[in-house]
Amino acid sequence: MRVTLLIAWREYLENVKTKGFWIGVLLVPIVFFMIFHISTRLATATPTRYYLLIDQTGQYADSVETAIRREHQRRVMQDFMRYLQENRSDTANLAISNEPANQMDQLLDDFGNDEVAALDDWLSNGGLAFALQMARPYLRPDTPDFEEPRQQFIAAVPPPELDITAPAETIVETLRPFLKGEKRLQVGDNNVSLFALILIPAEVNNDIVRPMAAMGGLPADSGTRGVQYWAGNLTDTRLSNAIQTSINNAIRQQEYIDRNIDVNAVRDVQRTRLPVSRMDPGKVAGDEQVSVADTFRQWAPMGFVYLIFISLMQSVQYLLSNTIEEKSNRIIEVLLASVTPGELMMGKLLGIGATGITTILAWLASFFAFIQLYQTIETTMIVQILDVLLGSDLIPYFVFYYLCCYTLYAGIFLAIGSLCNTLKEAQSLMMPLMMVMMVPILTMSFIAQDPNGTMARVMSWIPLFTPFTMMNRAAAQPPMIDVVGTTVLLVVTTITVLWLSGRVFRQGILRTGQPPRIIELWRMLRRRST
Amino acid sequence: MSSTVLSLSNVSKRYGDFTAVNRINLSIPKGSVYGFLGPNGAGKTTTIRMILDIIRPDEGEIEVLGCKSAMQVRDRIGYLPEEKGLYKKMKVWAIISYFATLKGIHRKDAKLRAFELLEQYGLKDFANSTVESLSKGMGQKVQVLSSIAHNPELVILDEPFSGLDPVNQEVLEQLIRDLKNNGQTVIFSTHIMQHAERLCERLLLITQGSKVFDGTVDEARAIIPRRVILECQNDVMALADLEGVLSVSETFVGGEGRIPGTRQWELYVKEHTNPQLILQHCFQNGISLSRFDFTQTSLHDVFVHLVGQEAREHNFR
Repeated sequence: MRVTLLIAWREYLENVKTKGFWIGVLLVPIVFFMIFHISTRLATATPTRYYLLIDQTGQYADSVETAIRREHQRRVMQDFMRYLQENRSDTANLAISNEPANQMDQLLDDFGNDEVAALDDWLSNGGLAFALQMARPYLRPDTPDFEEPRQQFIAAVPPPELDITAPAETIVETLRPFLKGEKRLQVGDNNVSLFALILIPAEVNNDIVRPMAAMGGLPADSGTRGVQYWAGNLTDTRLSNAIQTSINNAIRQQEYIDRNIDVNAVRDVQRTRLPVSRMDPGKVAGDEQVSVADTFRQWAPMGFVYLIFISLMQSVQYLLSNTIEEKSNRIIEVLLASVTPGELMMGKLLGIGATGITTILAWLASFFAFIQLYQTIETTMIVQILDVLLGSDLIPYFVFYYLCCYTLYAGIFLAIGSLCNTLKEAQSLMMPLMMVMMVPILTMSFIAQDPNGTMARVMSWIPLFTPFTMMNRAAAQPPMIDVVGTTVLLVVTTITVLWLSGRVFRQGILRTGQPPRIIELWRMLRRRST
Repeated sequence: MSSTVLSLSNVSKRYGDFTAVNRINLSIPKGSVYGFLGPNGAGKTTTIRMILDIIRPDEGEIEVLGCKSAMQVRDRIGYLPEEKGLYKKMKVWAIISYFATLKGIHRKDAKLRAFELLEQYGLKDFANSTVESLSKGMGQKVQVLSSIAHNPELVILDEPFSGLDPVNQEVLEQLIRDLKNNGQTVIFSTHIMQHAERLCERLLLITQGSKVFDGTVDEARAIIPRRVILECQNDVMALADLEGVLSVSETFVGGEGRIPGTRQWELYVKEHTNPQLILQHCFQNGISLSRFDFTQTSLHDVFVHLVGQEAREHNFR
């Protein structure tokens, strides 16, 4: 045992003392937080786009401009709501609060339930100025000023040489160099590039598609009909979507009027809603309503499955490379004169297992450090979710399945490492096992959605998949037979695999030359020693 | 008190149809320096691995330091394998200390011992270098030190001299003498006969898995008769009648710069024959010698004599 611990300690130090280990460990949270940060800040980071709207009909320009203004106000409102949540003086439970307590909560509640209605109220009440005034008493004294987001889309003035009454083709030809970035537009004192041209031809109303007419099918040249949206950037569809929605709204408004339908009545009907409360039959009576935390608890096992998988992948690399290093450097022979192959194998297993646990703890530590240093509404919510998780019964499941999964796979990978002299040789032997390991990851979301379904139950009984699948099912109260049965099977399999791997390890570790063929491997499993 | 530290009786090891070691018997007294000699592939390393219980013999008994398995007394044995290797990222002192701790030395003592050895054998300045920054020979010295750091009673060195320059070979020879002076038993295998000649009290010579010789260096030398080389213009076949001369034969050597008509003769003589008799006989018979060469039989000659043909065949197979 003393020798096993010495080997484990050396393995552990060899891994965690390298810069590469810590770079690898810290890279995961850094990449995670970068993605997090970028995705939350992406909206404000998008550059302002200049567009040119040429409406030869004169009917739609106002609608489009109103829609773009409205879109901007929606973003102002969204940012304001976030500002409100981050800076209000009573911060308790705001992320999963369900009951409005005051005017501000009412605003937040409306915003959460029906954004369109909330925006209408926002605009009719006077927008940002009113909201700021209303919210002020509820904000903390040290709250910074609200920063209004930049406008994303600004209308440009057509260049003087453009005749906006000319046929569509001529207009497009004149503006093509601007759209291709060869020429720039003058907006105020700035030279800007033209992002998009929206051209509404004079005879566009002939192209309106109505259900009855559409049944005859669209003409073959439908691509150039209707409103023309010209832009070199095909990925940013926000402007084209806004235009499509606003023009179609304008047309529909006109249709209501033409058909003598009350527009306000239609709007009221569209905003009528019945809330759906999600209830959990497993919870105590009176407290059955499903909260955000409950939903998260159902999905959390998937996170744990990922964590097991990623940590296992890292450990596999160490198990293989450290064993192969000792083999190819012939250190193994000196070691075997001092320790038994079994002690060596167990030492490696423990040392690299400790490395894996260190990695997970380092990830958690950096995660907690991050949410302490970087407090936003999202991270506050993560803190609450973590509280839920750490207080739940999922942690013991995770610890158990992590350890079993690691031991089971480590046994197999150590045996593979002992048979190979180079990592290249190991890769071909690893391939089938890697495919096996991918199965629980590929099926993970199906199992999370139907945790007690046939697929989940069958996979739970296959020991190589048991840790992943049962972890995934942990929050869904699987039947007792599944929990006990698969646990017994998993433990028995793990012990058997370790025992057999020990045999292969003992014989493989002194082998030179090519990795063995299947038949030789079979002999190794049956033979006691060399 | 002289007792046996290692004994092998009828030990064999086979890999399929190939017999790596064939019924070897051996007994090594305590405190001796023992050489394992033999051509490549003779079975030296397999024998050593069996002694250490890294692999098990198919037949026979091995007793190491009074135990059936080296594993039971592993803390009392030091081993340097034929193919040398160390953890590249570890520091020199740490690796010596690590192997010593594996052999049961307390961590603090192991560290002290590592520095002591590094100082003693001229590697003090490299104590804090990583292994990967060392030259091959230097790394090998470190490995030798790590195999003896725990003061083992029995030290087994497989090809310890290969890859070392002459100066370091001398250092290693001194190290082996130091071990002997400490009362430790040393077994080493080598191809270089001079080392065995200078260091060993007893030798084992194996070829193709079988023992061909086991005894002292003098006993080995006695295996082949002593040789006298003569060069002259005459026929000296008559020397065969002289007392102590076993055989006389003419060897044909060509080459430029030789005086035309010079013939070379090879005489084998009994072990205690006085070569002066041959010289005297030549003088009396008016044989004018251009060369008279009487040399001590070297271990090299014994080696070539005993395994030369087989080794050559083995190498060209």
